[in-house]
Amino acid sequence: MTSAVNTKPSRWGSLEKREARLAWFFILPTALIVFGLIVFPAFFSIWVSFHDVGLKNLNDVFNADFVGFANYQKVFQDYAFKYQGLQSWGAAITSIVFSFGATVLTLLVGLAAALLLNRPFRARGLVRAIFLIPYVAPVISMAFVWRWILDPRPSGVVNDILVNLGVIDLPIGYLSTRGLALMLVILFEAWRYFPFAMLMILARLQAVDVTLYEAAEVDGANTWQKFWNITLSELRYILGAIFLLRLMWTFNKFDDIFLLTGGGFGTKVLPVLTYEFSFKLFDFGRGAATAMILFIILVIFMAFYVRIVMRNVED
Amino acid sequence: MTDGDKKNVIQHLTAALSLQKIIFLLVLTFFLVSILFPFYWMVSSSFKSKAEIGGREPVYVPERLRLDAYRELFDPEFADYQEFGTNILNSIKIAVPTTLIAVILSTLGAYAIARLRFRAKDFLLNSILMVYLLPGVLIIIPLFAMLAQVGTAVGFEVQDNLYVLVVTYLAQTLPVALYMLTNYFRTIPDEIEQAGLIDGCNRVGVIWRITLPLAIPALVSVGIYTFMIAWNEFLYALVFLNQHELFTMPIKINTIFNDPTPRPHVVMAASTIMTLPIVFLFLLLERYLAEGLTAGGVKG
Repeated sequence: MTSAVNTKPSRWGSLEKREARLAWFFILPTALIVFGLIVFPAFFSIWVSFHDVGLKNLNDVFNADFVGFANYQKVFQDYAFKYQGLQSWGAAITSIVFSFGATVLTLLVGLAAALLLNRPFRARGLVRAIFLIPYVAPVISMAFVWRWILDPRPSGVVNDILVNLGVIDLPIGYLSTRGLALMLVILFEAWRYFPFAMLMILARLQAVDVTLYEAAEVDGANTWQKFWNITLSELRYILGAIFLLRLMWTFNKFDDIFLLTGGGFGTKVLPVLTYEFSFKLFDFGRGAATAMILFIILVIFMAFYVRIVMRNVED
Repeated sequence: MTDGDKKNVIQHLTAALSLQKIIFLLVLTFFLVSILFPFYWMVSSSFKSKAEIGGREPVYVPERLRLDAYRELFDPEFADYQEFGTNILNSIKIAVPTTLIAVILSTLGAYAIARLRFRAKDFLLNSILMVYLLPGVLIIIPLFAMLAQVGTAVGFEVQDNLYVLVVTYLAQTLPVALYMLTNYFRTIPDEIEQAGLIDGCNRVGVIWRITLPLAIPALVSVGIYTFMIAWNEFLYALVFLNQHELFTMPIKINTIFNDPTPRPHVVMAASTIMTLPIVFLFLLLERYLAEGLTAGGVKG
């Protein structure tokens, strides 16, 4: 008895230690790569945003001059950044309009697609697979196909169809018209990312208790009432979560807009502006400051959203 | 109930049903057309001649399958030969190692988090997941500056180095891979492993003989997911690659697109070559992936 008590702690201790050592050995490569190439650079980015970093001192970054808030000031005063009336929104407002518009539309289209696929019909599996194509296909091909479909010349498909239908008289440069370009970029986002929302909603829909609908039918509820009171209320948590995720990623999105419009014609969002400052002007300090502003807007919104909206949803 | 009444009820029912059905079919058609038409347009445009591409009106069905665009991409005899084969090879050289390493490392890491007890576990998982929040454009500036610095010190080239891209793609994909696999490992009952341990297997033996075979669907999902990211990635490749012979497919396609003489058929041919493998892979393994995507909330 005594010996058992004596040996047990030491044996457990050594096993635990061995387990912990094995765990560290397993997780270390992943941790090193992620910390070294994401977490550390993220903090380093704060540092860069307060220093004068450009091509001239790229090989000697750590001795760059400290410039205080000068980079931030330059960004705030830049015509590409600041709001100058309805004709020219500036990157900050454009980013917010773009990401909210795209996120809401993605969610609505995803919901429609999920409801469509939630009822059984022949070839449903195949249709679901087809619906995933925009999401998994490379962004470069999809962006360029749409540019080619929306081609401003008379030979563009949309121009050809609309002129033949008599909707427009002359061909339009869809992606080079202020306002229209932003709307189309938002539509593209919804087209490309609705499958993500659809999959998440579909998974949740299939977990809804069928007896809820049966009970509602007994009570004489119509289709609309059932949808509003059961389906939507069962979905609100997942809808809130998808909204948050998609908003975050859309706000950070660079390639879609860069490839569709190059950030021209009222579609210059903060990630594209960051890219231009850093890799066109090679002013890394100003680029980092832009990225930090983007990040701060995002964090403020997230804090607000999680505090107010998610709490209400849970009630 | 008379015959007339009966007919009325049935007529009523079919009318109601078909109205719902019509709406259903309309919406379904709308979705399918909006997805399949761009796809058709990409593939069919790639088989058009220069004349068909540059005409006053769009050619909806190419007269015959012309290989002009593909010859420009692959045929050394062709005037504007693009050496696209090299670009395909570069994409493979990046995507395959990224996938293999990501699957191995995330399996180990996820196993540690799901099964083993050690301090700082939650802190590690949470901070790795924080990566979700960080914009790619925010990371790339310091990363570029940092790697330039390290590169000069250690003596490797940051620009035009495919290995640098492999490592950055690993950093981008490992967090999600880790999260997906951790979730999956937690669904495998611990008792099975305990039984293995009692039977005299050691940890590594248990992982190899019991856990991994059970986790194959999740491993496939993670593999395809990382492959897709590495295959499709644009921003980092755009910034880190300057030499044409090292371009991955997306950068090459972008270059052809921005050429002063527009050649949409060539762009579409290259896009087709790049898109088809990934779409087929998905259609083939859709069942695994739908689950994997929702479990991990895959970033895109």
